[in-house]
Amino acid sequence: MGQKGVEGKMIEVIGVSKDYGSFPALQNVDLEIKKGEFIAVLGPSGCGKTTLLKLLAGFMGPTAGSIVMNDSMVASAKRVVPPEKRNIGMVFQSFALWPHMTVADHIKFPLRHHPNSRKDSKRAMSLRINETLALVGLDSFAERFPAELSGGQKQRVALARAIAPLPNVLLMDEPFSALDVELRMEMRKEIQKLHRETQASIVFVTHDQSEALAIADKIVVMNKGKIEQIAPPELIYTRPETEFVATFVGKCNVVKGHWQDGRFVPAIDSKSSWPDLGVAEHFKKKGLYPVRPEQVRLSLSTGTETQGRITYVQYQGHEIHYTVEAGVETWTVHEPISSPRFQVGDAVEISLKSAPKPEKDLVFS
Amino acid sequence: MIVKHSMMEERRTGPSSFSLFFHSKKLYKGLGLLLVFLFFLLPVLRLIWLSFVKEGSLTLHYYAEVLKEQATWVTVQNTLVIVLGSTFLALFLGVMFAWVVAYVHIRGKRAMQLFIFLPFVIPSYITTLAWTQFFGGSGPVAAVLSWLPGDLQVPNLYSIGGILLLLGLSHYPLVYLFTVNVFRKIPRDLEEAAATSGLSKKQALRKVVLPLALPGIASGGLIAFLSNLDNFGIPAFLGTPANIRVLSTYIYEQVVGFGPEAFSRAAVLSVMLGGIALMGTVLQWMILRRSRVTETVRSDSSPRIFLEPVKQKLLEGALWTFLLMTSLMPLVAMGALSLISAYGVPFTFENLSFKNYEHVFFTDSKPLAALSNSLQLALVTVAICLVLGTVFAYLRFKSPGWSTRAAELFMTIPYALPGTVFALCMIFMWMEPVPGWNPGIYGTVWILFISYATRFLVLQIRGSYTAFLQIDPSMDEAARTSGARGWVKWRKILLPLLFPGILGGALLVFLMALTELTVSSLLWSSGSETVGVVIFGYEQAGYSTYSTAFSTVLVLGILLGGSLFMIFGKLWDRKVLKAK
Repeated sequence: MGQKGVEGKMIEVIGVSKDYGSFPALQNVDLEIKKGEFIAVLGPSGCGKTTLLKLLAGFMGPTAGSIVMNDSMVASAKRVVPPEKRNIGMVFQSFALWPHMTVADHIKFPLRHHPNSRKDSKRAMSLRINETLALVGLDSFAERFPAELSGGQKQRVALARAIAPLPNVLLMDEPFSALDVELRMEMRKEIQKLHRETQASIVFVTHDQSEALAIADKIVVMNKGKIEQIAPPELIYTRPETEFVATFVGKCNVVKGHWQDGRFVPAIDSKSSWPDLGVAEHFKKKGLYPVRPEQVRLSLSTGTETQGRITYVQYQGHEIHYTVEAGVETWTVHEPISSPRFQVGDAVEISLKSAPKPEKDLVFS
Repeated sequence: MIVKHSMMEERRTGPSSFSLFFHSKKLYKGLGLLLVFLFFLLPVLRLIWLSFVKEGSLTLHYYAEVLKEQATWVTVQNTLVIVLGSTFLALFLGVMFAWVVAYVHIRGKRAMQLFIFLPFVIPSYITTLAWTQFFGGSGPVAAVLSWLPGDLQVPNLYSIGGILLLLGLSHYPLVYLFTVNVFRKIPRDLEEAAATSGLSKKQALRKVVLPLALPGIASGGLIAFLSNLDNFGIPAFLGTPANIRVLSTYIYEQVVGFGPEAFSRAAVLSVMLGGIALMGTVLQWMILRRSRVTETVRSDSSPRIFLEPVKQKLLEGALWTFLLMTSLMPLVAMGALSLISAYGVPFTFENLSFKNYEHVFFTDSKPLAALSNSLQLALVTVAICLVLGTVFAYLRFKSPGWSTRAAELFMTIPYALPGTVFALCMIFMWMEPVPGWNPGIYGTVWILFISYATRFLVLQIRGSYTAFLQIDPSMDEAARTSGARGWVKWRKILLPLLFPGILGGALLVFLMALTELTVSSLLWSSGSETVGVVIFGYEQAGYSTYSTAFSTVLVLGILLGGSLFMIFGKLWDRKVLKAK
C-alpha cells in the first residue's frame, strides 16, 4: 500500500532484494532520492547497479522490499507497475534508437504515449519537439535517421527522447560508455545543463569513478549487491567509510597498524605516528589508515621517517606515479611533476601531507 | 498524477484480480501444452501403438512378419547405401563450397551463393525431372556424347547411383548453410597462432579449422542425413521404374496397396525408419559432445586466402562450371524439352510447339485445379503458421523455461519425421481422432490443412524466433519507458523491425507447402490434388512431356517470387530500416 511520503522525496527504495535464481544480485538495499537530485550509482560490473536501475524502471520486480515513487507504491514482491505507467525517462547504454524513425519521430513518440504528456495538443507537441531539439543542439537534424548520425549525436537523440515528456525521474544506464573520451567529457556538461533545465531527479549508473565525482550531487557506491556508502562526491573521496570505497573511488593505500590516543601507528614503522585527518570509525576499529596516493610525500631518506624503496616509475604528464615498497606493504604514490624526482631503486622516506581542507568545510550538504 | 491515478485503480481491483490472472496464466500454460501434445506428439504415439496392436491385443506379429521378408532387408540395405552415400556427397560438396566461399578470395560470391541455393528452393522432384531430361535420349548430354569419339553411353540415372547423386546434389545446400557461418566465425587469430607455432596452412586446416568447424559440419551432416532419409520424390521418380525401393517409397507402396494389413505393416516400417533417423541423431550428439563449443564471436567474412591470379581464375571457372552444370543446365534442358511435341522425338526446330502447355493448362483440368488447391493450402498454412508461430516464438523468447522448450521440441517432431511416416501418423490420428468417431477429416482436403500447419509450423517459429533474437531488448525497453503500451509498442516499434525476419520464415513455409509432395501423395483425395501429386501422376503414367511443361511453369513462378522477395527485402532495408 502507498505510504504518505515526506515532502521533497521522489523515490524511496525500502529494503529491496533481488535474486536471480540462487544468486543474490541486490541485498536489502535502502535508498532515498529527493526531488531534483542528481544521484550517481557507482560500482564495478556485477555489483548490482544495473539491477537497481531496472527495478527503478519497472522492467522487473523485486524479490523482497518495495519501491515508492512520487508518493505511490510502484513495486513490491507481489505487484509491479510496468515502465509504461511510470513517470520516467530512460537513456540506454547502447542508445536504443529505433532505426526506422527520424530524430523528430523519436521525440514525438514519448510525447504521444508517455503518461506525463499524453494530452498535449498538436501545436504544443510540435513546439515541444523544437524546444527539445534545441536543448540538445540537434535543431538541424530533425529529419535524419539514426544510421545518418554520429555516436555523440545518437546519444543526444536518446537524451532528447528521455526528457521530452518532462518525466519526474530520468534513469541513465552508463550512457557514455559507448562514446570516446573527448565526447564523454562534452556529454558530462550536456547532462549537467539538462539537469539544471529539466529539474528532474536523475539516477545515473556508471562504473567510472571520475564521471560520478564530476557530475553527481550524491554518489551511491555499491559492491556485491550492497550499498557501501551514500555521500556527496567530496566526502566519498576524502572520507571513505569502507575499504571498498577507499580503494575503488580514492585508489587508497590501506595501511595496517593500530590507533593509539587518536593517532595512528603503522605496523611497518612503530616509531612514527600519524594524525587523524578524518578517518572513519570503521577503519579505526580495524586498525587501518586509508592513504590516498596524492596524500603521500616522498623525500630523500634521512632515517627519521618511514623508509621505502622505489620499484616502478610511471610518467603521466601532469604527475608521476611511483610504486614504493615499504616493509611488507606496497604503496602507490602520485607526486606533482614539480616535486623532486626519484629513480627505480632509490631509498625514500614516506610522510603524510596535511589534510587539503579542514573537516568542518567538507561536511556541508 | 496519471501514474497515481492508474495505481489507485490497480489497487482497487486489488490482489484478487491479480491472483486470478496468475491462475489463468497457469491454466493457459496447461491448455497450451495439452494442445501441443494432442496435435504434435499424440499422432506419433498412436503410430507406434498401432504397430504393436492386432485386433485389440498387443502383439509382435507384424514385426515378425515384416522382418521375415527378404524384400524388407533389401529395402533397408538400399536405404542405408543410398542415404549414407548421398550424405557423404552432400557433406563433401557443402563443406568444400562453404570453406571456399568463407575463406578464399574469389569474385562473385553473392551470385555463387544464389546458385548454391537454387537446388534448395526448387522441389527435388522437379530437379529430378530436369535431370532425367538432361540425361535423357534427346537431352544435351546424349547429344554431346554422340559427338565424341568412342562409344560413350549416357549414365543411367534410374539406378542406385543416380538416386544417390541427386539426393547429394539436392541437399548439399543445407550443409553449406550450416557450415559457412561456422567457418566465418572461427577467429583468424587462431589460424595465425597456428602459423606462428610452425604449422603449415594444410596442417592448420586439419588441426585447427576443421575441428573447430566440427559442430557446424555435424549439424549440417545430420540435416542432410535426415533429408536424404525423408526424401520421397527422388527415389519415387528414379527408383520405381528400376524397381529400387527405399523405406520411404516402400511405406508409400504399402499404404496405397491397401492390403488388409497395409496400415499396420506401414506402421512397422515407419518405426524402423524412425529408428534409423534416431541413430543419426545420436551419432551427431556423440560427435558434438566431444567438441567444445567456442563462445559466439563476430563473423568475419573478408577472405583469408589469396591465390595467384591464374589459380584464382581456374578455381572460379571450376566452381562456376559445376554450379551451372548441376543447378541451371538441367532446368534449362527441361524447359527446352518441354517444348518438343512428343516424347523421344529429336530436338529440332520443326518439332517445337506449345502443345504440351496447351494440354496442361487448357485440355486437362487437373493441373489448374491442383495449382489452385496448392495455393490455397500454402496461403492458409502461412496464415496459421504466421500467427501461431510468431506468438509462440515471442513466448519462447520472453519466458525461455522448460515448458516452452518442451513445446518447441514437440513441434519439431512433425517436421523432423520422414514425410511418409508423418503422413501415416496423420491418417491414424485424424481417421478417428477419438476411437469410434470419424468426423470425415481423412479423405478430404481438411487433413492436408491440418498436416501442413503442424508440419511447417516449426519453420515459422525458427524464423520468427531468430527475428526476435536479432532485435536488442533495449528497443523494447526504450518504447516502454517512452510510455508505449502493448499494441502501440508492437505496431510502431517491434513489428517494423521484425518484419523482414518473420516474412523470411513465412516465405519458406509458403514455398514448402506449395510444392510439397510426400505428405500429399499419401493424403490427397479426389478433388484435393496438389501440384506435386499431379506432376507425380503424370510421371507415373508416362506423360513426361506434360510434367516437364507444368514443372517449367512452376520453376519460373518460384524464381519470379524469389526475386520479388529479394528486391522487396532490399527496399525494406533501405526505405524503412534506413540501413546503408
